Amino acid sequence: MRSRQSTVGESTVGQSTLHRASGWRLFARTVAARAYPRLIMNVREKWWLVFEIVLPLIGLCAYVFMYRANNAPADLIGFVIIGGAMSAYWMNVLWSMGNQLFWEKETGNLALYIMAPNSMMAVLLGMALGGMFTTTVRAASILAIGSVLFDVRFAVDSVPLLAAVFMLALVALYGMGMMFASMFLLLGREGWHLVNLAQEPVFLLSGTFFPISSFSFWVAAGASIIPLTLALDAIRQLSFSSGAAMGFLAVRTEVAVLAVLSVVFLIAARLLLRKLERLAIAEGRLTEARA
Amino acid sequence: MWASLRTAAWLGWQIESNWASPALFALYSIIKPLTSAAILVVMFGMVTQGNFASPAFSYMYIGNAFYMYVGAIIAGMAQSVVDDRERFRTLKSMYVAPVNIPLYLTGRGVARFFTTTLSVLVTIGFGIAFLHLQVHPGDIRWGLLFATLCVGMAMLAMMGLVLASIVLTIAHGSWLVGEAVAAALYLFCGAVFPLDALPWWLQPVGYLMPVTYWLELLRRALVGRVAQQYPSLAGFDDRALLTLLVLITAALGVIATATFRRCDRIARERGLIDRTTNY
Amino acid sequence: MRALAIETERLGRIYKPRKHNKDESKTRVALSDVSLTVPRGELFGLLGPNGAGKTTLIKILTTLLAPSSGWACVEGFDVHREPQFVRPCINMVSGGEASGYGLLTVRENLWMFAQFYGLSSADANRRIVELLAIVKMSDRINTKSSQLSTGLRQKMNIARGFLTDPKVLFLDEPTLGLDVEASRDARRYIRRWVDEDATRTVLLTTHYMVEADELCDRVAIINAGRVLACDTPAKLKRTLQREPIFHFETTPLCDGDVAAIAELAGVRKATHSSSDGRSVVELVLGEERVVGPVIGLLESRGIGLITLSKREPTLEDVFIDLVGRSMEEVEHA
Repeated sequence: MRSRQSTVGESTVGQSTLHRASGWRLFARTVAARAYPRLIMNVREKWWLVFEIVLPLIGLCAYVFMYRANNAPADLIGFVIIGGAMSAYWMNVLWSMGNQLFWEKETGNLALYIMAPNSMMAVLLGMALGGMFTTTVRAASILAIGSVLFDVRFAVDSVPLLAAVFMLALVALYGMGMMFASMFLLLGREGWHLVNLAQEPVFLLSGTFFPISSFSFWVAAGASIIPLTLALDAIRQLSFSSGAAMGFLAVRTEVAVLAVLSVVFLIAARLLLRKLERLAIAEGRLTEARA
Repeated sequence: MWASLRTAAWLGWQIESNWASPALFALYSIIKPLTSAAILVVMFGMVTQGNFASPAFSYMYIGNAFYMYVGAIIAGMAQSVVDDRERFRTLKSMYVAPVNIPLYLTGRGVARFFTTTLSVLVTIGFGIAFLHLQVHPGDIRWGLLFATLCVGMAMLAMMGLVLASIVLTIAHGSWLVGEAVAAALYLFCGAVFPLDALPWWLQPVGYLMPVTYWLELLRRALVGRVAQQYPSLAGFDDRALLTLLVLITAALGVIATATFRRCDRIARERGLIDRTTNY
Repeated sequence: MRALAIETERLGRIYKPRKHNKDESKTRVALSDVSLTVPRGELFGLLGPNGAGKTTLIKILTTLLAPSSGWACVEGFDVHREPQFVRPCINMVSGGEASGYGLLTVRENLWMFAQFYGLSSADANRRIVELLAIVKMSDRINTKSSQLSTGLRQKMNIARGFLTDPKVLFLDEPTLGLDVEASRDARRYIRRWVDEDATRTVLLTTHYMVEADELCDRVAIINAGRVLACDTPAKLKRTLQREPIFHFETTPLCDGDVAAIAELAGVRKATHSSSDGRSVVELVLGEERVVGPVIGLLESRGIGLITLSKREPTLEDVFIDLVGRSMEEVEHA
């Protein structure tokens, strides 16, 4: 016969009592705790300034000079700069969320996260927020330095609208990231390859370095499932005088789609995390170390 | 020494070929290089209204295709240090064994060479078949091509060894170094645009890069007529350019040896050979 | 009767081969028909060779792995159906763990894990200072964990396990990597921790007989996924005490000599090994007077007797009796 007792909220250590948070407080503590390593890295390991800003900027310049060598319109240079800045978030989603779980599995941290009473969504959100500082510095630096270096002329009508599009894009992008990350509960080394594989195709399909309207309507529409696609298009339309002419859909439509994607991805992430966690536990994949 | 190289090459192949799904491997080898090239193709097509018959397209396409070797070998060798130290935790065992470490690191790059060759062939083949890439088998200068590839692989191995040596001395964040350096080199070596497109004060950097000469020789071997239309290195004939490449590669060999010795000593002094960061 | 901290009923786990994995050729039974009850307040040991299923059992009980058959409850909650109620009550420490982040200090790593259990920073920091003092790592509290040796890292892991003051603590070979003194300190602390509070329970897995013998209230011996025996160490050993065990050290024996000894009437079991030019034979006898015929046999075959002693049975003897081979032989097989 199985006996049943109440859950533990307090425990005694000698004469003292440990109080444990639960619910939203536990969620918040987990987010903060998991963001902490990422944030502290920025203080302790200053090399990231070179590898996260300087070198990617140099790589991005290659695309700019390629356009210039072929007499591209000036606004396209700005498109590349914005694409390079926003792609930093995609890279963060891929490598610092999805692939990070693969690394956590290898080191044994994943088992400890699953075993603790916190939520995996809180862990992933902590990873995302922690990485966002570095990523935002990278994106902002690319934008600022690139704009100055290549004399990019912006024509922004509405900064609040631009900011709103940007924030919505981040929510959708990170929601998608959480969804992918849940798949890593099941994957081993093939997950690393999938992440590696997902870089260039996404840069291509989302029009990171060119307007997405270069593709046919249906190709661009299909690519719009990637939040980066419509985010880039909307931001470019709001930032450059020729943006609207080279745009894919009206900004309003793109904002609406991004909003829907945000909700869908976040819900899907929550559902998938639960489902795939159970599947990983059933198949014994949480604790295997696969080289 | 030969045993170190051979064993490392075997190990590198075991790691590279350790795919859970061969289908995924095939997809990876085809999709990744093609989409990388496709980005440039779309960009080019948009600004030139699809003028793929233009010499500029062949210049760009070939440069980008062969640049994959640069990323794979240089970044790959640096990544081997990270993998062996952090993930597999075998670097200390390699150091304890009578293994020639520079040759070991070079051998680990050999597997990447083979997998990248597949990607390069797929990319070039796609370009010829679908994008009017001006490569005609009858016009290829095979001798120059073969010689350039051989010297180029040695050059890239030396550059990779320099980078891998530096990574030995970096405990944290070393996983970023290889890819970041390869991405940065892309700008200066005239991979997708002639050096003349760079500002005048940056052009000397390009002339200092051995990869610049390597890519130029490859273009001359594959699409000689196209290469002639870009006068950046017109002052050098093939023999001079190849000789220059050989001399630079030899110099890189000396630099790589000296760099490895110094970095190896620093890594040992700081106890970094078996340092794991768990991050 | 004390409430149960851990309860399993016919628990089983089978690993099936996956497609594309050339290393897995057939189904592997990791656990089979494991039924155990561990009341609260007990320090329960799981003793067995490598690959016996100890870690698999712990993974199931800590909600990391689903059972293929049977069920298991921790603190009254089903580990598979109600993991969200099990997790606040438990913690786990594994031997040779590499968890945490290298760029964080010991304090920061421990603080981070404490947050995942909802502890306030004040409570967490206080506990960290207390526990690091117990594992004698106070001077390393601000050292980055990437700079710790294997043993120090394991001490940090042990501190992490106790940090949240769980109701049930799972220790999977926790002294792996620790030196002799540190292992002894760890064992003492584990015993004290359980004794301090009758609601605390520890399930400890080990393949060190001494650890199980010295530490555990009860021990389950497991091999090839099955529990072979479960009782207090004293009672387990007493099952063999009716049969005396003698330890002979002789000049080298050949296979024929050993066979002849084993065939003597009254010899229940004979185990033979050689080292340094000598042979060591352990005999489990039906009664003590069988020693005489054994000595006589050695004399008749011209084998020199170097030492002879009577040995009290150990848990290793219990294991050999149950399995037919020593733990090392099982691991090498």
